[in-house]
Amino acid sequence: MLEIIKPGVQMCIQDLGRFGYRHLGVTQSGVLDPMAMKIANTLLGNPLDTAVLEITVGLSQLRFHQPTNFAVTGGDLNARLDDCALTPGWRYFAKSGQVLRFASSPSALRAYVSVEGGFNLHPVMGSDSTDLQAGFGGIEGKALSAADQLSYKACEEKQSVGALQPPYQSHIRVLPGPHCKHLNHSTEQLLCSQQWQVSADSNRMGMRLNTSAPISHQVAINSQAVLPGTIQLPPNGAPIVLLNDCQTTGGYPMIAQVISADLRHFAQLAAGVQVSFSLATQVLAHQETQKQQHHLNQLRIALTHRDRSFS
Amino acid sequence: MNQEQTYLLGEQAVVLDLNCARLDDAQQNRLFALHRHLQQLKVGSDIVVGKTSITLVLKNPAHCSTWQERLLTLWEELSATDFQPTTHTIPVIYGKQAGPDLLPLAAQLDLSPQDIVELHSSPIYQVKFLGFLPGFAYLGTVPQQLQVARLDSPRTQVPAGSVAIAEDLSAIYPSGSPGGWRLLGHSSTRLFDAQAQSPCLLQPGDNVKFVPQKEGLC
Repeated sequence: MLEIIKPGVQMCIQDLGRFGYRHLGVTQSGVLDPMAMKIANTLLGNPLDTAVLEITVGLSQLRFHQPTNFAVTGGDLNARLDDCALTPGWRYFAKSGQVLRFASSPSALRAYVSVEGGFNLHPVMGSDSTDLQAGFGGIEGKALSAADQLSYKACEEKQSVGALQPPYQSHIRVLPGPHCKHLNHSTEQLLCSQQWQVSADSNRMGMRLNTSAPISHQVAINSQAVLPGTIQLPPNGAPIVLLNDCQTTGGYPMIAQVISADLRHFAQLAAGVQVSFSLATQVLAHQETQKQQHHLNQLRIALTHRDRSFS
Repeated sequence: MNQEQTYLLGEQAVVLDLNCARLDDAQQNRLFALHRHLQQLKVGSDIVVGKTSITLVLKNPAHCSTWQERLLTLWEELSATDFQPTTHTIPVIYGKQAGPDLLPLAAQLDLSPQDIVELHSSPIYQVKFLGFLPGFAYLGTVPQQLQVARLDSPRTQVPAGSVAIAEDLSAIYPSGSPGGWRLLGHSSTRLFDAQAQSPCLLQPGDNVKFVPQKEGLC
């Protein structure tokens, strides 16, 4: 059992998300950084879609009540197991009673923790993800709080191992959105030619971006489906990048769509950070997704060899 | 004449946009026929109906360009009669605590409270699409005489089951939430249950008939 001593700003159970229910108004949910989740699960030999803990900001403490191998991935929130400093992208072994602590960091926002074999959960509508607004999934539909317990199976110690994670960036590649033609033709250029600042008013639903030169307009569109990664432009001209907990339909013009491979970067962008965009092509977007797939495959192969040579 | 077109949204979604202000009944039912047809093909991880569009999120993004053409072909081939909606009867207690905006609205529109109930419960509504909250169905169309703007200042908490109107649409709040719609009544029908085998009562294109109950105004 993993006991939550201190959840910090936000700690919740997420997997890759809830699919197949958007037409009923059900959001996707799921980790903001799927790559970090898949790396964590690869390090432990778990199925890639095994649910993990998503830790926002840090300032949290967890106690292992059974021995297990676990992985810490995502941003570097200065994690320690008792007195030992941990590196993101690595797998470690925890003895019963050991405490995992996350401090915080000015340059990272979210970390992920997975345990070997995964947590024992009860999927809702095909997913273990916590839908924080609708209040279902995860543990009783809520972010974790002190004294919450997550059960898992004890396991034997494995050699500690890890690899560099693909770096995070604040330069984001986007595909053109469908509604630029209803706005000024230069909207895409305006999005891509300036620096944007992440607003404090951002969360898992969406990231609001500020600038001294907003792209104001008075165009409304008929409500249509939006997705994580859709960049909406409300009339005030400050774009909103929709993230995993976003609503299913929206009536603001959609000016761009973040390429899938770059969505993970938003997990680490804190309030006040500068973000920039550039236009990509479908071909590049697919290549970048493939690159991530190759990274995971290489990691899996390397781990298989290493674990075999130790056993 | 519609200028329907398809385009990609990101790497995995194809949108059929009918490019018009609103749909007539025949087009609307054709769109629901397309939705149901795509659901049966099981090619999408999600298929979402919008006001004048449908978005198909493909399981396999390699099929995007094929589907840009296929959606247009299917739209041509399907007709309104290919869609047979389910009809739901929703009992509603109108007025008093169940519908705190009913009396002020009657005064504003210079109608009797009974007129409001009669106007609201006379049409058969259709679920145009869902959104905002799980199970929140946008129901059209509210009779012209009853079409009013949202409240100037939204309530911080609208109780689950509230039957409400805003502009040309009506809705039933499936769960408690902030909201700016005008509350006319209350229904105890369960609309959304995440734990249920079939979590959502109202599906896109379904019909809804409100039935005033004698415990409230009728």
